[in-house]
Amino acid sequence: MLLPLLLAMELGEGDAELVRRLQRRDPRAMAELYDRYGRLVYALIVRIVRDSGIAEDLVQETFLRVWNRVRSFEAEKGALGPWLLAVARNRAIDYLRSAGGRMRHALELDETDHPALFTDVEKEILNSDRLRRVKDALDKLSASQRTVIELAYFEGMSQTEIAEHMGQPLGTVKTWARAALKSLRDEFGAVVPA
Amino acid sequence: MNCDELRDHYELYALGLAEEPESGEIRAHLGRDCLTCVPRMRRARELMSLLGAAAPPAQPPARLRQRVLAAVADQPARRWSWAPVWVAVAAAAVIAALFFNARERRADAELARVQAESATRAQELARLNEALAILNQPDARQVVFGAGAPQPPRGRVFLDPRRGVLLLASNLPPAPEGKAYEMWVIPKSGNPLPAGLFQSATDGTALHVLSGPVDVTATGAVAVTLEPAGGVPQPTSKPVIVAAL
Repeated sequence: MLLPLLLAMELGEGDAELVRRLQRRDPRAMAELYDRYGRLVYALIVRIVRDSGIAEDLVQETFLRVWNRVRSFEAEKGALGPWLLAVARNRAIDYLRSAGGRMRHALELDETDHPALFTDVEKEILNSDRLRRVKDALDKLSASQRTVIELAYFEGMSQTEIAEHMGQPLGTVKTWARAALKSLRDEFGAVVPA
Repeated sequence: MNCDELRDHYELYALGLAEEPESGEIRAHLGRDCLTCVPRMRRARELMSLLGAAAPPAQPPARLRQRVLAAVADQPARRWSWAPVWVAVAAAAVIAALFFNARERRADAELARVQAESATRAQELARLNEALAILNQPDARQVVFGAGAPQPPRGRVFLDPRRGVLLLASNLPPAPEGKAYEMWVIPKSGNPLPAGLFQSATDGTALHVLSGPVDVTATGAVAVTLEPAGGVPQPTSKPVIVAAL
């Protein structure tokens, strides 16, 4: 599990140069980008859509989108991996919602199309220690809290949809969501200053 | 709403769970580059990335890499004159553009899918044309491998000094997940030269072409090994095919 992450982390130093080469339309840079992040992107999309054939289409769309929008990415300050994963999640959730005949409810998902918003985000987000801490934190959540987070993150459900899905009052789901995110935030180590 | 009233809502927002009025308030704060909300939102996005990276591992099929690269190669060339300031302007304008973007994105996705399909077909046709060109050369050297062997695979290799090397094989089982077949042109003296990755079809047949001039007289053999899907500079496993010249 951790091998691709460790690899991605080790290679993370070269992201800025890789971005510059992508911006110069160097096709070899695209191959490198895929080799660096392809497995993570595929794993995330497969988890969301649960179909390897559809996941392949969406991985392709993800990389095409990044290729077409990388020009507005800040090579030095931008966080390539987090942006790529956000675009991947966006594509997969979009697919899930359209396939299920559900309306998009989260306009903020569209922001992933604007890599400027990923400026100054921690680049070493794939650091295995931090990842382990978040996984530990996920394990520490109650089953209900974890379900809420998973339905929101991997299924793209709104709180109302989650409440219906779980057969619970909306207020309860909101409480679980807030408590779960607070735990994750604390474990994540970046406590937001007041 | 002030920033403190929003403090518990950044992760909800990044996750797509925030509701009105908090959602609109966060958008407004971000839209005016609020010095408190922008960094908080970055932390929330980091957390979302970690959730994504924590998805159970899955190995993409080897063909996906080729497909992604083919789709990118098929993209029309673009000019690169955007000034960095455009980035800031675009970020500020994003909220107004979201509605139209959603529509455009669906069209983009369809276009990308059609382009990828067309690129794959064009590649397949080009490969078959190359194979036919080699087969049509009267002076192409032909080598049979695997004949009479108790175990598959069997087939032929054609080498043409100007056109390249064509490998036709049967009884070659599909490579396991994460692996690909790699062809090698082995000089009479010196190390094997990588000659491209390929996959066999589900019926065990395979066709692989190495295009370009090849020094047939200096070649001792053509071989195939099973390697990691990304390919390796030198063989790391025992050959499954050896066609000695």
